[in-house]
Amino acid sequence: MEIGLRLAVSLAQIAAVMGVVMLTVMVLTLAERKVLGWMQDRMGPMEVGPYGVLQPIADGLKLFFKEDIIPAGANRFLFTLAPILALVPAMIGFAVIPFGPSMTIELFGMQVKPFVISDINIGILYILAFASIGAYGIILGGWSSNSKYSLLGGLRSAAQVISYELNVGLAIVGVILLSGSLSLVKITEAQAGGFWNWFVIAMPFPQIFAFVVYVISSVAETNRVPFDLPEAESELVAGFFTEYSGMRFAFFFIAEYANMILVSCVAAALFLGGWNAPYPGTILGHLGLDALAWIENVVWFAAKVYFFLFLFFWLRATLPRLRYDQLMRFGWKVMLPIALGNIVLTAIAAYFFPR
Amino acid sequence: MNAAATTDTKRKPFSEWLKTLTFYELLVGMKATLTHLLNYKPITLQYPHEKRLLPDNYRGMLSLLRYDDGTEKCVGCDLCEAACPSRVIRVVSGEVPGEPTKRYSKEYYMDMTRCLFCGLCVDACPVDALAMTREFEWAVYDKRQLHLNKQQLLAIGDRAFPVREKRLELQHPNVAFFNVTFKHLPQKEN
Repeated sequence: MEIGLRLAVSLAQIAAVMGVVMLTVMVLTLAERKVLGWMQDRMGPMEVGPYGVLQPIADGLKLFFKEDIIPAGANRFLFTLAPILALVPAMIGFAVIPFGPSMTIELFGMQVKPFVISDINIGILYILAFASIGAYGIILGGWSSNSKYSLLGGLRSAAQVISYELNVGLAIVGVILLSGSLSLVKITEAQAGGFWNWFVIAMPFPQIFAFVVYVISSVAETNRVPFDLPEAESELVAGFFTEYSGMRFAFFFIAEYANMILVSCVAAALFLGGWNAPYPGTILGHLGLDALAWIENVVWFAAKVYFFLFLFFWLRATLPRLRYDQLMRFGWKVMLPIALGNIVLTAIAAYFFPR
Repeated sequence: MNAAATTDTKRKPFSEWLKTLTFYELLVGMKATLTHLLNYKPITLQYPHEKRLLPDNYRGMLSLLRYDDGTEKCVGCDLCEAACPSRVIRVVSGEVPGEPTKRYSKEYYMDMTRCLFCGLCVDACPVDALAMTREFEWAVYDKRQLHLNKQQLLAIGDRAFPVREKRLELQHPNVAFFNVTFKHLPQKEN
């Protein structure tokens, strides 16, 4: 009975988070086209609904009813498996993201944390591990399609993800050194009390370099412009999902946007204080409405995440694609030394000035 | 001076390093895109809902014209067929029954799939029987629908040019009228 209730509450939490994420993906597909259009003096989608706001629904319906084609000579099992392998790790990472204050509420005689599905003590490691599994989906999708474009896209993706996973991992080591925890909840709580405590500018050693390395590497990790070599449409048709159609294509598409949201959430939680407001406490809390203070925190978290998502669109509207050797040189010869140097300096600073 | 020049080529100045470190060039580009986002003035025309105002000399769909009394202007002289560089036009000329000096186009075909809208046929026509309208929405499902006959071409002319040219009084009903005034010819009293 107890375990059944706990399961029901957890499933409800998971359903809520998945719903919010899928809704955000829908919003993002429209927002990306709109923002890109505005930045290029176009209008973006305008036909479906007023100002094209119903475009994601039309796109979803279209993809749902499209014919599902498996190319001749494709490895059917892996071809089917790859979209799932891409989507599941992207969605599963949200299990450890704290969306709001780490308070506990009493529900059916149980202690429930409403704003994080599970506060495991290796949260960030868990996200990194699953993000690496997501690369398998891309590689297998590229390989099993029996197409040269897909294979090239998959190979590029493999090299790129390996190069930039490393930088992401090393960039967040500084934050972990300062906070002394791998749990995203604890890391966020360590940044409470004003924007000067956020790890991007916090003493004893501001993680601004790690932040820049993380943002650039996360753009590369999600295969977004200017690092969209695995799906470079001018070279590789559509890269690893050239042969995919219908819902399988939609899975890859959703996975890409879910990954964007995930890395934005991690960036907000690690460097920009997560759900903490840039001033001590919350305005609603100071006004005596402590019961409603979580609204303000969640809004701050959403604002930070959407800032990063806007940055993704902004970069896409601005930058051309890197060449493959430039990508590799930048990753290994520029990003990696900066991340390593940041770890050394942060370790020294954290040793002499413990928080 | 010379030494300074060589060091310049070897070593980047400090400001260049600073620009690289702060992603200065990227920020310039991002400022440009953000400026366009903030001063949002789209140049898009929502085509099926709003249409461009076309100039009067727009070279659109070809048409055959009539005089104000409803008679066809075309005299079947074949000059348009001769002028056409893509062999769009095919004219079958014939006598007006009972009037051996007067000719007209018995059949008149245009294969608009080949037309390049150069307007040479309109220039060539001596009686201004051909005109280019401002119609351009001629997408069809069957290519054969673009193979137009005389009735269709006259219908296009009728709907595109509601104001018709007056048939001139000085024209002899038995003489093919070319669009010049034959002042020196004796006029027939009607």
